[in-house]
Amino acid sequence: MDFSFSPDQRLLRDSARAFLDEHAKPAAVRLLWDDPRGESEALWKEMAQLGWLGLALPEAYGGSGLGMLEAAILLHELGRAGYPGPYLPTLLAAAAIGAAGSEGQKARWLPAIATGEARASVALLDAELDWRPEATAMRAEKTGAGFALSGRKHFVPWAHVARVLLVPARAPEGLTLFLVDPGAGGLTQTPAQAMDPGTRWSTMTFERTPVGADAVLGAPGQAGPLLDALLRQGAVGAAAEMLGAARRCLDLSVEYAKVREQFGQPIGSFQAIRHKCAEMLLEVENSHSAVYYAAWALDARSEDHELAASVAKAYVGDAARRVCGESIQVHGGIGFTWEYDLHIYFKRAKALEAQYGDGDYHRELIVRRVAA
Amino acid sequence: MDLNYSPEDRAFRAEVRRWLETNVPKQELPALEDRKAWHRRLYEAGYVGMLWPKAYGGWGTTPMRQAIVQDEMARVGAPPPINGLGIGFIGPTIIVHGTDWQKQRYLKKMLTAEEIWCQLYSEPNAGSDLASLKTRAEDQGDHFLVNGQKIWTSAGPIADWGILLARTDSKVAKHRGISCLLLNMRQPGVEVRPLKQITGHALFSEVFMTNARADRRDLIGAVGQGWEIAQTTLGYERGANSLGRVTRYAAAFHQLVRATRELRRGGRPLIEDPAVRAKMGRMFAELEVQRYAALRVLSALQNGESPGAASSITKLSYTEFEKRYYETALEILGPWGQLMSSREEFEDVDTSSGEPGTWATAFLWARAGTIYSGSSEIQKNIIGERVLGLPKEVRADRLKA
Ligand SMILES: Cc1cc2nc3c(=O)[nH]c(=O)nc-3n(C[C@H](O)[C@H](O)[C@H](O)COP(=O)(O)OP(=O)(O)OC[C@H]3O[C@@H](n4cnc5c(N)ncnc54)[C@H](O)[C@@H]3O)c2cc1C
Repeated sequence: MDFSFSPDQRLLRDSARAFLDEHAKPAAVRLLWDDPRGESEALWKEMAQLGWLGLALPEAYGGSGLGMLEAAILLHELGRAGYPGPYLPTLLAAAAIGAAGSEGQKARWLPAIATGEARASVALLDAELDWRPEATAMRAEKTGAGFALSGRKHFVPWAHVARVLLVPARAPEGLTLFLVDPGAGGLTQTPAQAMDPGTRWSTMTFERTPVGADAVLGAPGQAGPLLDALLRQGAVGAAAEMLGAARRCLDLSVEYAKVREQFGQPIGSFQAIRHKCAEMLLEVENSHSAVYYAAWALDARSEDHELAASVAKAYVGDAARRVCGESIQVHGGIGFTWEYDLHIYFKRAKALEAQYGDGDYHRELIVRRVAA
Repeated sequence: MDLNYSPEDRAFRAEVRRWLETNVPKQELPALEDRKAWHRRLYEAGYVGMLWPKAYGGWGTTPMRQAIVQDEMARVGAPPPINGLGIGFIGPTIIVHGTDWQKQRYLKKMLTAEEIWCQLYSEPNAGSDLASLKTRAEDQGDHFLVNGQKIWTSAGPIADWGILLARTDSKVAKHRGISCLLLNMRQPGVEVRPLKQITGHALFSEVFMTNARADRRDLIGAVGQGWEIAQTTLGYERGANSLGRVTRYAAAFHQLVRATRELRRGGRPLIEDPAVRAKMGRMFAELEVQRYAALRVLSALQNGESPGAASSITKLSYTEFEKRYYETALEILGPWGQLMSSREEFEDVDTSSGEPGTWATAFLWARAGTIYSGSSEIQKNIIGERVLGLPKEVRADRLKA
């Protein structure tokens, strides 16, 4: 039993950190905030070259064949940088295509994703904002050429840059996953202005949007287990990103508490501040244990992998919100300014807390597993 | 990173499980003599003193194996070994700082619980600020004459020996004038008065020393080295692995699940109440995180890393968790959780002391962990200063020094 990273994993983390420290500085992140597209094509291409986009894809499709653990290491660094862009939704869509796609679907999308040509996303939430796959309300009617999708999906991340969307809908056969072209007819996108400028969401309205029979991912009516797996990966991925955001806020707070002086002494010498920092560290370290345990569990398909994913999302969601929030408190007024960087991470953590199942959703899953 | 247990570890776990199945006593063991006999069986099976070197009667195995034994014992609710302070902290301190004579004389009997040990550190006016202790030990050549009072001494009423911190020099800075001695508790100059705890039991005590005698050969290290030696003890005390504890919490959770199926409110079992479910989901998530954290510490120990000041994070984490845990359990159980003797199956739980009890005793015991071995506030000071490198606080005693 070994909880430490392998030399390769450490190398991945260190090189990712070095790369992002140079190419995704807070100033660069802020430029993207003001950009209508919200993410950088150049950065995306570099990420492809570094092998990040194909990280967990099979080697036969241009990937590196690594797992959730390596993805979590990267997402931690992306969270630490406050990187805005569709890395996580692309990873999730690609994983689902890799797991359930036909030869044709895999050949069409996986190499394109690995080389950075195509971004992808997932459209999971209907109007009731219920994360349970069985709560899906979108309808898929049979047509001559395939299906017609009708309904509305909310809070679809990065839909405006995605080349393909994963959309669950109710077909006559039951819950079915579709690969949808965001430019398809009868599909309108309405961008939403959210609190975190680094998270771009859209509402997607489907009015008898035609999709071909070959757009079905996996077997019709069999999308439940696929969606469960996707949500678990999303939960762990989001937890890793939140952990990175929280760690950054803690680091900034500790640095600040050493140099900011009031009453003739550094504020870090006041117990009220020092103890807050100690509590933040505790939550960050526990979150670290939760994220990497869960990532390992998904890769190893351990007995408790479903539980571990929910534990990570529920725990880290709360912890990251508190740590990022307390970092503003430690900084006082300057922490409340737009110019200071804390709110980059504070907002990102909050946005992720609500995605891929919020705390309440995962706590309910936990109770079902342990108490039926 | 690979969190699977190795085939050897799994085989060892199976072996421990089998041994426990045939050997765990079927009934509680209230008498000290029965506890000593059980302890002895555990020792002979190789399950006590697992990290101690073979030369001193230990088994020289790995932290992993020790954790597996603690985990399996917790799983079946086996009575824990006794003499925990001795074996966990005092013995290892003697191993590091003691003389050959001391090692020969004390260690084996400590391991086998032939002699029970206590820790004579805290005083009425020296708790968190331990270095301000006043108990005096006067150098009389071949022995020291000890006068003063200790308090909160766990196992005091049953102890044969104690590890004592006393002042040998009152003219130097407070943490330089302290020495560490081994004190025979069974002598006329030592009086132990049991103190009743909030659980109703008297597991700790006051100890009055009036011209008590400690032989010179029972001095640990040099005169004046006591503070440094105390740091070793406290390091062991805080760095202990928590996997077994977490397994005891998990056993309690399963009792809670059982209770929420049997108890009803508003025409349905508690477990169907969404408010109860939300609380239970949060409890279990936190519990699992404690388990992952314990595995992480274990893996670091196994890789030969010493946790150092970071062990304060572990101690702070699980003791604060334990308070929240039993608070939530009692919220869910209502007055059922407050019963001091159990009538129903679901009312029995293992408390953090390792002793069986009820939800109420577990809830009460949970208040102790954040006070002993350095309170939560002291842990946060340590984390702030030594892990995060924040500036030291301005303190009146430092201004004077
Ligand atoms: C169940 C139990 C068993 C024990 N067993 C033993 C034993 O076997 N041997 C032994 O020697 N001792 C034992 N102790 C004593 C224990 O180590 C002390 O209680 C502990 O060190 C705290 O000291 P105190 O009780 O004097 O509280 P105080 O030090 O007076 O603390 C009171 C409050 O002030 C806070 N405080 C103190 N200093 C600071 C500071 N610098 N910054 C912020 N807050 C501060 C504390 O955190 C606490 O909340 C035991 C205690 C308990 C509860």
